[in-house]
Amino acid sequence: MSGKGGVGKSAVTAALSILAARRGQSVLALSMLDDLGLAAHLGVGRLGSAPKRLRPGIHAATIDRSHALDEYIRLQLHAPRIAPLGPVARGLNALADTVPGIRDIITIGKALFESGKGQWDVVIADAPPLGQLTSYLRAPVTIAGLVPVGRVRDQALSYEQQLRDPAATGLVLVATPEELPVVETMESYGEIAALVDIASVITNRVLDPLGVSEDTLSEIAAGPHRDAGLLHRGLYAAQRRWSADLPEGPEIPFFFGVHTPGEVTVLIADSIGPLL
Amino acid sequence: MTRAVLITGGGGVGKTTIAAALGVAGAEAGRRTLVLTVDPARRLATALGLEQLGNRPEPNPKLDGLYAAMLDSAASWDAIAYRHAPAAVADRLVTNPLFEAVASRFPSGQAYAAAEEMVVHLESGEWDLVVVDTPPASGGIDFFEAPARMRDLVGGRLLRWLTGARLPGRRGLFNLAGRPALRLADALLGGPLLEQVAEFLFDLRTTYDGITAKAAAINRHLAAAATVVVTTADPGPLREALRFHEVGIAPALVIFNRALPGSWAEPVEPLTDGRPAAALNENLARWALEVRRQEDARADFSGRVGTTMVTIPWLADAPIDLDGLQAVFSGAPALTLERLGV
Repeated sequence: MSGKGGVGKSAVTAALSILAARRGQSVLALSMLDDLGLAAHLGVGRLGSAPKRLRPGIHAATIDRSHALDEYIRLQLHAPRIAPLGPVARGLNALADTVPGIRDIITIGKALFESGKGQWDVVIADAPPLGQLTSYLRAPVTIAGLVPVGRVRDQALSYEQQLRDPAATGLVLVATPEELPVVETMESYGEIAALVDIASVITNRVLDPLGVSEDTLSEIAAGPHRDAGLLHRGLYAAQRRWSADLPEGPEIPFFFGVHTPGEVTVLIADSIGPLL
Repeated sequence: MTRAVLITGGGGVGKTTIAAALGVAGAEAGRRTLVLTVDPARRLATALGLEQLGNRPEPNPKLDGLYAAMLDSAASWDAIAYRHAPAAVADRLVTNPLFEAVASRFPSGQAYAAAEEMVVHLESGEWDLVVVDTPPASGGIDFFEAPARMRDLVGGRLLRWLTGARLPGRRGLFNLAGRPALRLADALLGGPLLEQVAEFLFDLRTTYDGITAKAAAINRHLAAAATVVVTTADPGPLREALRFHEVGIAPALVIFNRALPGSWAEPVEPLTDGRPAAALNENLARWALEVRRQEDARADFSGRVGTTMVTIPWLADAPIDLDGLQAVFSGAPALTLERLGV
C-alpha cells in the first residue's frame, strides 16, 4: 500500500486487513516506516516488531530497524550462528545510513520475507509514501548492482523476483482527488509499474454530487445553506476534474464528522468491501 | 537585517500555498522578499514566476520585490561538496556513484542542503524577508534535526568502524584479517564494496570541519527565525504538528488550513422551499458535523500546545495566481506580518 503522504494510506491498509480477515484469511498488517498511523487505525497504541494478534484473523507488527537487521542477518542471510552478531549489526546499521539500498532492502526484505514464509494468507504492508517508494522497490536491484558476490546479493536477487511476480506481490495505490496527490501518482505510475504489478488505484475521500444546480443556489438567500452548497459544489467539481486523470478503481466516500481512526477504518471497510 | 519565516508541517496541508501567500504579502508591504520552495504544484510555480527549476532567485514578472527559487537538493549537494572539500576531493566525490545515491536518498541530507541554501540567502544581505517552504520529510521536523544528522554522517561513525579507532591514510584503509566482524561483513557484502564505501567516507570526512561550522550557523538562523506550523484538522497532519511541540520547537504561529466557518454549526432556520431546500438542509447538517469535528480538533490541540492559532478558510480551488494568493492572506485577518516579526 502506498500513496502520497496524507491521503489516508494507513486507514485503507487497516480497512483492507479487516476485509481480508472477514473473508476468513489469516492477515499480517505490517507497518514499514512510522507505525503510529496504522496502529491508530487498527485501534491500538503502538505496534511491536513481533507480530501480535489483534483480533481473529489479524496480526500486526512494525519494522523496527535494528530488530529487522538482526533478523535479516540471521534468518534471511543465514549467517553462522556462532558469529558475533553485535559488531556486524552495528556496522551494517551504520552502513545503512550511507550505502544506498541497505536500509531499504532490510525494510522491504522484511515484508517480502513474511509474505514468502507461508505463515500468512496475505501480508498487507503500509509502505513508505510515494516519494520514497521507488527507492524501496529498486533496493534489490540497487544492492545486486553494488554487491558483486555473496549472500546479500543472492538474497537481493530472489527478492527482486518475488517483487516482480504478480502472483506473489501487488501494489495498491491510494490517492485523493486533488491536484498534488493525482499529479504525483500519475508522474510516478509508469516507473512504479515497471517494478511491481499495480493491482489497484483506490480513490479516497470522494464527495457525492450535491444535486442542486448553481442557478438554484444563486437564488437562495445568503447564509450558511448557500455557502455550504457552494463549497460542496466547488469541491465536487474540482475532485471530478482531478479524478478523471486517475485509472478506474474503487472509490471511498468522504465521511463527514467522523472522530476516531478506528471508526474511519470500519467505515472504509464497509464501503469498499462490495467493490473489491 | 533579514527576517526568516519557516513554513513547516506535514505533506498536503497547503504549506507551499501559504509560503507563497506570505511572500506576496511581504512584497506588497514593500519588503524585498524571497520565497524558497520545494516542489510546488505546477500552476503555483507559474504564479510565483518559476518557469524552470533552479536555485537562483527569479523575479516575479507581475509583482515588484517578489522573488522565488527552488530548493533543488541534487545541485545543492554538489555545492556542499565544493564548499567544504578541497577541489580535487570534491571532484572525486561528485562523480562517485555512492555520493549521488546518498545525495538523492539521505532525507536529512536533502533537508540539510535546503538549510545551507537558506543560510546563503539569509546572509547575502539582499533580502528583507526570506520565506522558506521546508521539505515535508518527517512532517518538517527533519529540517531542524538535519544539521546534527549531517554532521554525524560525515563525522565517520561508519568510517571508524571500518578502519578502527584511528583514521588511517588513504592507503590500507582497513585490515580485514585483524577484525572478525569485518570478515563476516566481507562474506556477506563482499570486500570491494566495503573498500569503496571506506574510500567514499574518507573523502566525505574532509567536509567535516566545514559542515560542523555551517551546521552551527544554520542552527543560529533556525533559532532566530519565526516558525509557522501548518496543519489541517485531520488526524495525520495534527499528529505531525504535535511533534514540533514534543521535540521542543516552539512555533510563532500554528495555522489551521481548510477551516470551515463556525456559523455553519449554529442553530439556523431550515429552508422550506421544496426539494432543493431538503437537499441543502441535509448538506448543511453534514458540513456542520465537519465544523464540530474541526472545532474539537483545534480545542484539543490548543489545550496541549497553547500556541497562537490562526485559521485559513477552506477554498474549493487552490489559488493559482497572485490575486488568489492575496486572497488567502486577506481571508485570514488574524494572520499578519507583524505577528511574524516582519
